[in-house]
Amino acid sequence: MKFAANEMQHVELELTRRELLGRTGTGLGAAALAALLGDTAFAQQAPASLGQPGLRGLPHFAPKAKRVIYLTQSGAPSQVDLYDHKPHLQEFKGQDLPESVRMGQRLTTMTATQKLSIQPSRFKFAPHGKSGTYVSELLPHIGSIVDDICLVRSMHTESINHAPGMCLFLSGGEQPGRPSTGAWVSYGLGSLNQDLPAFVVMLSRDRHGTCGQLLFDYYWGSGFVPSKYQGVKFRAGGDPVLYLTNPPGISPQVRRGMLDDIAKLNRMKQAAVGDPEIGTRIAQYEMAYRMQTSVPELTDISKEPSAVLEMYGPDVHKPGSYARNCLMARRLAERGVRFTQLFHVGWDTHGNLMREITMQCEDTDRPSAALVKDLKQRGMLDDTLVVWAGEFGRTVYSQGVIDDPKAGRDHHPRCYSIWMAGGGVNPGTVYGETDDYSYNVSKDPVHIHDLQATVLHLLGVDHKRLTYRFQGRDYRLTDVSGEVVRGVLA
Amino acid sequence: MRAQAGVGLAICVTACAGLLAGAQLPKSQSRLAPLVRFSRDIQPILAEKCFRCHGPDQKTRMAGLRLDTEYGAFAALASGGKVFAPGSPAHSKAYQRMVAPNAALRMPPPGSDLTVTSAQLKVVKQWIGQGAKWERHWSLITPVSPPVPAVKLKRWPVNPIDNFILARLEGERLAASPGAARETLLRRVSLDLTGIPPTLAEIDGFLADRIPGAFERVVDRLLASPRFGERMVWDWLEAARYSDTNGYQEDRTRPMWPWRDWAVKAINANMPFDQFTVEQIAGDLLPGATLDQRIATGFNRNHMLNGEGGRIPEESRVEYVMDRVDTTTTVWLGLTMGCARCHDHKYDPFTQRDYYQLYAYFNNVNETGSVDRNGSANPVVELPTAEQAARLADLRAKVEELSTTASGLKEGSPERSEAQKRFDAAKKEVESLNNSVTLAMVMEDRKEPRQAHILIRGTYEKPGDKVESGVPAALAPLPPGSPSNRLALAHWLTSPANSLTARVAVNRYWQMLFGTGLVLTTEDFGIQGEKPSHPDLLDWLATDFVRSKWDVKRLVKLIVTSATYRQSSVATAKMLELDPANRLLSRGPRYRLPAFMLRDQALAVAGLLVEKLGGPPVKPYQPEGVWEDFSYGKITYTQDHGESLYRRSLYTFWRRSVAPTGMFDASPRRVCSMRQTITNTPLQSLTLLNDITFVEAARVMAERVMKEAGWSPEERIGYGFQLAAGRRPRPDELRVLVEAFQRAKEQFGRDAGAVGQLLSVGEKPRDQKLSATDLAAYATVMSIILNLDEVLCKE
Repeated sequence: MKFAANEMQHVELELTRRELLGRTGTGLGAAALAALLGDTAFAQQAPASLGQPGLRGLPHFAPKAKRVIYLTQSGAPSQVDLYDHKPHLQEFKGQDLPESVRMGQRLTTMTATQKLSIQPSRFKFAPHGKSGTYVSELLPHIGSIVDDICLVRSMHTESINHAPGMCLFLSGGEQPGRPSTGAWVSYGLGSLNQDLPAFVVMLSRDRHGTCGQLLFDYYWGSGFVPSKYQGVKFRAGGDPVLYLTNPPGISPQVRRGMLDDIAKLNRMKQAAVGDPEIGTRIAQYEMAYRMQTSVPELTDISKEPSAVLEMYGPDVHKPGSYARNCLMARRLAERGVRFTQLFHVGWDTHGNLMREITMQCEDTDRPSAALVKDLKQRGMLDDTLVVWAGEFGRTVYSQGVIDDPKAGRDHHPRCYSIWMAGGGVNPGTVYGETDDYSYNVSKDPVHIHDLQATVLHLLGVDHKRLTYRFQGRDYRLTDVSGEVVRGVLA
Repeated sequence: MRAQAGVGLAICVTACAGLLAGAQLPKSQSRLAPLVRFSRDIQPILAEKCFRCHGPDQKTRMAGLRLDTEYGAFAALASGGKVFAPGSPAHSKAYQRMVAPNAALRMPPPGSDLTVTSAQLKVVKQWIGQGAKWERHWSLITPVSPPVPAVKLKRWPVNPIDNFILARLEGERLAASPGAARETLLRRVSLDLTGIPPTLAEIDGFLADRIPGAFERVVDRLLASPRFGERMVWDWLEAARYSDTNGYQEDRTRPMWPWRDWAVKAINANMPFDQFTVEQIAGDLLPGATLDQRIATGFNRNHMLNGEGGRIPEESRVEYVMDRVDTTTTVWLGLTMGCARCHDHKYDPFTQRDYYQLYAYFNNVNETGSVDRNGSANPVVELPTAEQAARLADLRAKVEELSTTASGLKEGSPERSEAQKRFDAAKKEVESLNNSVTLAMVMEDRKEPRQAHILIRGTYEKPGDKVESGVPAALAPLPPGSPSNRLALAHWLTSPANSLTARVAVNRYWQMLFGTGLVLTTEDFGIQGEKPSHPDLLDWLATDFVRSKWDVKRLVKLIVTSATYRQSSVATAKMLELDPANRLLSRGPRYRLPAFMLRDQALAVAGLLVEKLGGPPVKPYQPEGVWEDFSYGKITYTQDHGESLYRRSLYTFWRRSVAPTGMFDASPRRVCSMRQTITNTPLQSLTLLNDITFVEAARVMAERVMKEAGWSPEERIGYGFQLAAGRRPRPDELRVLVEAFQRAKEQFGRDAGAVGQLLSVGEKPRDQKLSATDLAAYATVMSIILNLDEVLCKE
């Protein structure tokens, strides 16, 4: 029968009728149509080695980065104490933030009724590397890689609360419901491997669990694009992927036999009813089986040389730690995972700032730097983009009484610092400036949408042309704005 | 023929989204028709390429030119000529600008990232040449019942639906498919209407019933079953963003299940859709509103609640009001009104003012924006159990009595102080009992209405002009003298003049039964939505639905008893080429069952399903640590035991932040959702093969076949296959499964440990009287059966 001949294309392309139903508009219809019409010319173009194809015509231009690793610092790290060096701030210590600086910025209900007294950082800053970039003493390891990173001091956003802020940072909109960056990337560019998901997420928490920003699954959700593009969360305990392990009593041999029988019967069914979706299903059951082997291999770090483990620090031996996840991120990148997103919570330092931020840095500084070094020593940094960022920054004024060890800093959207490394980013540079108070951006502002446009650009994607039609509108990651930040490109 | 199709489609692909939506439609539709039709061919081009600067949004409108209204499109220009001059492309200034040789003058301008392709220009020119006939957007015109078309194959139609479908197929030179096998049809309709496959007795009964009307009798039985409401409500829950928790940071539990139970009950009672609408939008405003009618209004309280520290309550409150506007307009009107929160709609004729007029209807709820009532937010209704109510009545009487007693005693006397003590104790008991009473959130307005404003850029803290409640000017007007409340809005939604509600409703039912609506974009009937595949059928169904007084069961019966629905779903190579997505319905529907139904099916065929209507949600199996991981140990999942493990998925506790793990492709229940894509991923395969639910079901199903079928593997496996697939296996299929059994038996025979392990999966104790090795081997075969494409699909 005719469809039997076409079966393999459908398997390779994994474009299904049903999926088409969800995809009106947008250029991808071309690929789908080609597949449906048995356009073998196109089908042969699709690299057979890929688990999941991207859209036809993507990337739009030659990419600098093949894959991305987000080191998401959830809870909003304080730029004042980590990256945004303000030596003159001491002069304003204890003074009220001038209204001319605040300019009516709305405040959360946590500090809306208190005095806004300037609290300079109580941590020392020093220049590092050839570039002489100033970084806080809290970050000695990141200090040691400043010549490999581009520090952006002029990030700004709109939200003053975590969930909307994180949502905007990752999906381009404050309300849940849009695809996360990783979902856009795997939707647009497809997978680089056949045995693992295109988009993997790993979570870790602060040491004492004093403050936990909840991490909602819509942060890595697919929004309105099909759910197969959503991030797959690898868990620290139990199965790394839900339902990965065979049930007790089902040996790999028994399972293999079951899968062969399912495939045999499904092929008979396909011959009888002609639904090409059945071919896809057969392929997905096979992929499930491969994941059962590839995921345990991935998570087994026993063959990592001790020198490498040493780089990431002692926490690397604890599954679910940030250090372990950084190592895992490298292993995922090696295995062709397109988009890896780590989340580490605990940066929401409303109180006890001195103690909490110190612990946060002890947990994340060394592994973050180790990942960049490790990628570099393997020659992978050139085509792997690493992004270290939170959802917004923190206020220069104290939440609570000044110099009180119990005091902290409130949420601040108008400026904060992030960094990027590898994948076509200009190393050893600082981009953007803030005013004397680390309150407003004074030079080269970078909005969330600009960052998103830049990340897509490095992946060879024009952010204005990666769209998906939903509820009558062509949505894109960058909503209706976003400019590629040329100044950070190598 | 083939090459021609390719060319037609290639144009379509590069052309515009409106036409591309037709990509799934067969080729003759995509081929450029000789007669250009405005709404099909031209409006999508204008919307996509021109409306951004020349559309409904006046703030972004350039040069005062608008192409979204007839007046604007044919306006005479001061410089001479017209925007579009019917019959004369040369005098049509808009067209001339599109083809201007000078790139600086050409529209759309460089830098807009928009281009009109040469194919599109040709169509625009043809349209002008043919007289430039203007049409209003189809969905804004009140439907009239169209004549039922004649067909060549007169014996095929069972009811008018079939005339519409067949007439179109005949026009495309496609034939309808033969009827599905009886077993297939019975399984299809049973799953569609009740979410549960037929029992073997039901299959035998239907196969044996050779008296005319057998299928109609099956349908009547299914419609009368309480399972009908449990199945049909699922899509409504997704549309209503129903959840057992608030979402956001704290994600606290809230009891909205009384609303869910109300909806199931209303569907089972076949409450007319207009009443179903009125009670949910404004049940509280009905004269002498009953408790049920107030519970019904929970529809618009199902949104998320933000209890995050530092959150500004008014910001949340405004968000909730907007959510109600967006949800209500999507669910009933199929409109993307949310686009007009911050600015006039870019494509559809709705202004920002229209949006805030609707907003005004939902702005008066007596709420603060905080989570201020035991994890819920006021206003609520108290729903004591009968026992609680009786106890409360007793206590209140006692309080009353003690109060009287006390006041009769001398102040300061020991008797008085004793009575006072007893009074206080009784009062305290009332309070604590009150705290344990279920509180369901409902709509209830304040006495003093809040003044609504247009919110500049949709920001809660930037009020602009004052607005009063009202409906969008582009839609049917409110009857004169309508009060300014939700009840008026509800009646307007279901008035026959409303061009959208009935169409959107029948389309949603069609989608539930065929997988795809007649309008694919169930949630968007606007200009950027897809045009209906069968516009006349949609209008016929919509008007018929209204004429029947919004009788939902009648509508569903009409659809499922049509010849169209009863077709075989086998796809021939010709169909795959000419009608790949089955939009023409040249065959019956075939697609994977939703996850909730897969679970219910497995429980049902294993004989595990516990059928009990309604009540608080239950917590069946879930892999360890899912809630704990998400909440850093703050929220623990305490799995239930016994019956609660085997209730229908409808009753599974729905945490908004982490949906039940096995429910792939379900709506995340954060905002209104009218359509889920059906995906096919390895993670689903892992769930269906390894989740305790499915492994236990396979194991218990194995016991069932060993006990209920004969002695041979052939009989037992054939029986299990029929339980799940609704038909007997063919000999070649049975051979594969019997060999699988023999092989598994051999493997398990060598490994008693594995047998014991497999047979201990799940909490249902195993039947010790059965041979353990056989049982394990049969369990393996049942798991194979539960993973067959045919069993995972409705076909």
